[in-house]
Amino acid sequence: MNKEQTIEQLKTIVKPYIQNQEAFDVLTEDTDFINDLKINSANLVDVILDIEEKFDIIIDNVSMERMVNVKSAMDIIETKLSEK
Amino acid sequence: MIGNDIVDLVLAKKESNWRRKGFLNKIFTPKEQLLISNGVNPEVMVWNLWSRKEAAYKIYNRETKIRAYIPLQLECYYGNENFGTVSCNGNMYFTQTVITDEFIHSIAVLKKEYLNAIKTLDYNDKISKTNGIPFIIDERTKNIKPVSISHHGRFWEGVTLFNQSINK
Repeated sequence: MNKEQTIEQLKTIVKPYIQNQEAFDVLTEDTDFINDLKINSANLVDVILDIEEKFDIIIDNVSMERMVNVKSAMDIIETKLSEK
Repeated sequence: MIGNDIVDLVLAKKESNWRRKGFLNKIFTPKEQLLISNGVNPEVMVWNLWSRKEAAYKIYNRETKIRAYIPLQLECYYGNENFGTVSCNGNMYFTQTVITDEFIHSIAVLKKEYLNAIKTLDYNDKISKTNGIPFIIDERTKNIKPVSISHHGRFWEGVTLFNQSINK
């Protein structure tokens, strides 16, 4: 899976939880889940669980700590996929 | 320093399915999960503990400048439904929680006695922000007072501490 495909899948995952459509429309690797997309911090768990399901990976607690923006999420997904 | 967090219980019911597989495991320690499963009202316990963690995290984040998603490192010691503590990497925060049918609101402070010095803000208070961190200017002393603001659904709560010396 290339970067574009990963980011597209990630966008599909976060879409139901975003509260700032404008930031979502211009989403880049630097986009922050909470500060930019205004995802409720309790819903960040859902994002993480959805990523686990969609990519069939397990995000351990240490990785979860970094899950605050698109770039970290992509890094974690790539790393976990490569370990499979 | 102060932190707060409010949960609109009606919105939370709509936004979050806390019974979802894996949900509680990601954000609550085994001890906290036991409090939830043994609780008279598990849902209220979920949001009670969650709001305490969020309130404590706001202080932790402002003091350490560490930004991370660390619900499991913020461990609640329950105490009772209104008072408890949250510890995080050797730091300890005292929490006060108000529970109604409509919302749950928690406030975290660094010392227990500061819970007696909480001042609620209203829409007339002029709140400014630097680096995303809100503050107000004390009219009398012109000193900067850190505040904490939380907004969820129908509810907005802003808090600060009376005494300037304990705002540090």
